[in-house]
Amino acid sequence: MSTTKIVANRTIKARAKGTPDRIEKDINNFKAIVEQKIIDNSFYHVAETEELGLTDLPQSDISVPMSFWLAHKADLMARDGLVAVQIAADQFPEDLSAEYSDISSIVLPMVSHVDGRSYSHAYILRTRFKYQREIRAIGDVKYDQLGFLTRSGCNAFELSEGENLETALKAFTEMSDIYQPSADGGGLIFSRRRAIH
Amino acid sequence: MYKYDAVDKTIVADRVEQFRGQVTRHFAGELSAADLAPLRLRNGLYMQIHAHMLRVSIPYGLVNSEQMRALAQVSRQYDKGYGHFTTRQNIQFNWPELADVPDILQDLSNVEMHAIQTSGNCIRNISSDHYAGVATDEIIDPRPYCEIIRQWSTLHPEFYWLPRKFKIAITGATEDRAAVKFHDIGLEVVYNDEEHIGFRVYVGGGLGRTPVIGKVIKEFLPREDILSYCEAILRVYNLHGRRDNKYKARIKILVNAMGIDDFRDEVEAEWAYFKDGALKLHDTDFETMQDFFPKPAYDDLPAGDNRIKRWRDLDSRFKAWYNNNTVDHIQSGYRIVNVSLKEHGVAPGDATDAQMDAIANIAEQYSFSEIRVTHEQNLVLADIREQDLLDVWKALDAERLATPNIGSVNDMICCPGLDFCSLANASSISVAKQINEKFDDFEELYDIGEVKLKMSGCMNACGHHHVGHIGILGVDKKGEEWYQLTVGGDASNQAALGTHLGRAIAKDKVGDAIGDILHVYKDLRSDDERLLDTFRRVGIDPFKQKVYSEDR
Repeated sequence: MSTTKIVANRTIKARAKGTPDRIEKDINNFKAIVEQKIIDNSFYHVAETEELGLTDLPQSDISVPMSFWLAHKADLMARDGLVAVQIAADQFPEDLSAEYSDISSIVLPMVSHVDGRSYSHAYILRTRFKYQREIRAIGDVKYDQLGFLTRSGCNAFELSEGENLETALKAFTEMSDIYQPSADGGGLIFSRRRAIH
Repeated sequence: MYKYDAVDKTIVADRVEQFRGQVTRHFAGELSAADLAPLRLRNGLYMQIHAHMLRVSIPYGLVNSEQMRALAQVSRQYDKGYGHFTTRQNIQFNWPELADVPDILQDLSNVEMHAIQTSGNCIRNISSDHYAGVATDEIIDPRPYCEIIRQWSTLHPEFYWLPRKFKIAITGATEDRAAVKFHDIGLEVVYNDEEHIGFRVYVGGGLGRTPVIGKVIKEFLPREDILSYCEAILRVYNLHGRRDNKYKARIKILVNAMGIDDFRDEVEAEWAYFKDGALKLHDTDFETMQDFFPKPAYDDLPAGDNRIKRWRDLDSRFKAWYNNNTVDHIQSGYRIVNVSLKEHGVAPGDATDAQMDAIANIAEQYSFSEIRVTHEQNLVLADIREQDLLDVWKALDAERLATPNIGSVNDMICCPGLDFCSLANASSISVAKQINEKFDDFEELYDIGEVKLKMSGCMNACGHHHVGHIGILGVDKKGEEWYQLTVGGDASNQAALGTHLGRAIAKDKVGDAIGDILHVYKDLRSDDERLLDTFRRVGIDPFKQKVYSEDR
């Protein structure tokens, strides 16, 4: 994909009305779902602000905005604790194409659960960039999004406030069959029928 | 027609239980109305002015007798005894209770039906030619391709939260009856020089607030690549389509903003990553799917039936019906029968439970138990023996389903309008009645000939007014209902958007204005010209002068 067109196309604003594309406040959840299990969460997700500097970062495991990673990569890699990189809804996995071997996990911040761009981001990370480490969806992530986010390539989730994590685990087993491949390695229905005939 | 296997059954059954769970969580206070909304929409459930509205999917308009009876039963048991057939070949029920919807969907799943993706910003029902398999101008039967795309697009995890809804149509005939140039993706069957089957692919067409004729993105796409190419288009759209303004979120806006050439480059670059991967189809896939749409067990019959010919001479009503509502068939001794859902005084596209049951029975007895829904809101019995036409006509007539008006001014396409729809600015059903009453002389209608009259109650254009030979758009002016008219729209091969006639017309004068347009046509037409042809020759001015000559 040529970069010139992508840049040109960015002049088209791509925002759900009244909602930003990136998280506006830091996010810090105590629990997460990783590989379909509830675990204690260690990540602190840092929102993008103009003043954000290295000294502002908390001591814990963190995720940082893409621009911050690109500006401070060496310092971040020298740091104790895990550093994940955020790909916001209006950014593209291609923008980090040279970085993936250095990034220990990816965070996809969803500002609105009806905005489907992060699904394509996860799919492209898994299939085109063969990214095999954790891809975590955060923000406006709810029970009813978990199934398709998983199929598209996410394997970790921090749910939005008010969601019951125990209940949400049911999302992983609601649908027991599929028609089409995605990042989950499932085959196309017709190839499976081919094998039967 | 297509029969579900274990995979289809599992997916639809799981889906019903998933939705039942969502409704249960909603009633338990665990899922807010706002969060339920996009989930119920993707199960076909809208919130309208008076009540919920459930839209049930009829893939490419094909339904069998058993399914039609199930739809009749749903309308009896859960609704008010009728259903509304839509321009996307689906059916809507206007009065279901939210708590009943999981049961309705379960009942429908027993006859291999569902409401998945009939609304919401996702890939909608695949629409196609209602004469598929029986049309005399058919190149390839589009139904196997429709079903292949239906399965790929159903619950596709990546394309479930698109910027806006996404509609795909396929035609396999010379005459385009599926309006492929007015869809987000339109596929038109073509052979290349090596006699290989493929598709000309159109993208970015649509009606709505910004009507656009689709542009060719690929002149020849080999049939084995249809899924991967659609996926590439969808991914580019999902990533780049606007999400800041829902009126600018359809793919047509993106295609126009980028230009078709840059958009094509983007799609081709995306496609190159995976075009020869898991989505590639094999010849056996098409053959297996084609086996679900076999040529019916036709009798070996001569063309023409003397008894039917005599009856046409004897009974003018039968003759009118034969001439207007039946169409040549590819098989000798058979005709295609259109079942009119445009009876005077009835909302266009509506059918009662008794009518649905009757049609199911007639189809079972005379037409291999299959019925098609047309995007012009009528039904089709595709395989009627000529010798049975009189009996079929009597059976339909007894249920008021034989109004001989197919293709005429009275066969209008019409959205539910202000009577039901929360988006509408003006009513359409009452205007449809007004036009019906004005044009109740069938001899006059036949003299006027083919006029596709299409009416929408608001600029969202569910009634496809932009592509009506005469289009009517309801608008709100200071709380009053007014109507804007267009002339010369065309959804078929020579796709065109209607030309504006002039300022809006008061509600009680719409019928008179249509009368004026037809009067001008009758004065100016030459030979066998249709209204559309005369308009193309003389332009809008003569029509405009007549309509606005009186003070309206």
